[in-house]
Amino acid sequence: MDIEVAEERNDEVLVLLPVGRLDSGNARSFESVVMDHVSSGERRLVVDFSRLDFISSSGMRVLLIAAKALKAGEGTLVLCSMKNHIEEVFRISGFDRIIPIKESREAALAASS
Amino acid sequence: MAMTDELRVSVSPRLSAVRSLAQMVEEFGDANELPDQQIYMINLALDELITNTVSYGLRGVSRPKIEITLQVSENRLVLTMEDNGRPFDPTRNTNPDLSSPVDERPVGGLGLHLIKTFADRVDYEYSDGKNRLVMEHDLTPAAR
Repeated sequence: MDIEVAEERNDEVLVLLPVGRLDSGNARSFESVVMDHVSSGERRLVVDFSRLDFISSSGMRVLLIAAKALKAGEGTLVLCSMKNHIEEVFRISGFDRIIPIKESREAALAASS
Repeated sequence: MAMTDELRVSVSPRLSAVRSLAQMVEEFGDANELPDQQIYMINLALDELITNTVSYGLRGVSRPKIEITLQVSENRLVLTMEDNGRPFDPTRNTNPDLSSPVDERPVGGLGLHLIKTFADRVDYEYSDGKNRLVMEHDLTPAAR
């Protein structure tokens, strides 16, 4: 199952917007989208959650893999615009302490530059 | 609201079943006026449990079966999963590492942690050839 991911560029920051549900059924598809960008040299990624309604732990795992890969290459991953129920899960899991989460796209871009 | 309402679903043992089940849980949750956060946590738990069971516990099992039951009463939400796969007690899984820096963190183990955080009680038993996992969550009147 493939996930729809919109992409927008803001100077050297690439913004990814996954749409709908990111669960065990399409986490692999999301992983290949994200990691293709990382291996082709993108260093500043923002994942904007404004169009995402659900993320399972398999989706969060992809973000962790991407954060590790980017950090190894002096890059950054910043998340933004999460719905409250999603942000709560990131807080419970401690992800908010290892991957920065910003309220808005503007704040995420500012943190990436 | 003194009644008990119940959703019982025989899930086809495929990864794609998670999505149609999530839809049913959302409708059930809305009908029972559960907060969005709780519906979300139930679906998070189901995604994790069904994925694990389909990928490992039921692999190679003839006539694989998963049954999910969700019960809501005045003060309690109970999620039960039964399957006829190999015995596996997810409550014995060690807690994941939530504090180390990102490049030192193991990938995985997160879903079960979320389930334990969400549930006030988690019980597991294996009997009659079935795994049975029961997760109970207390509902406060304010949360309804």
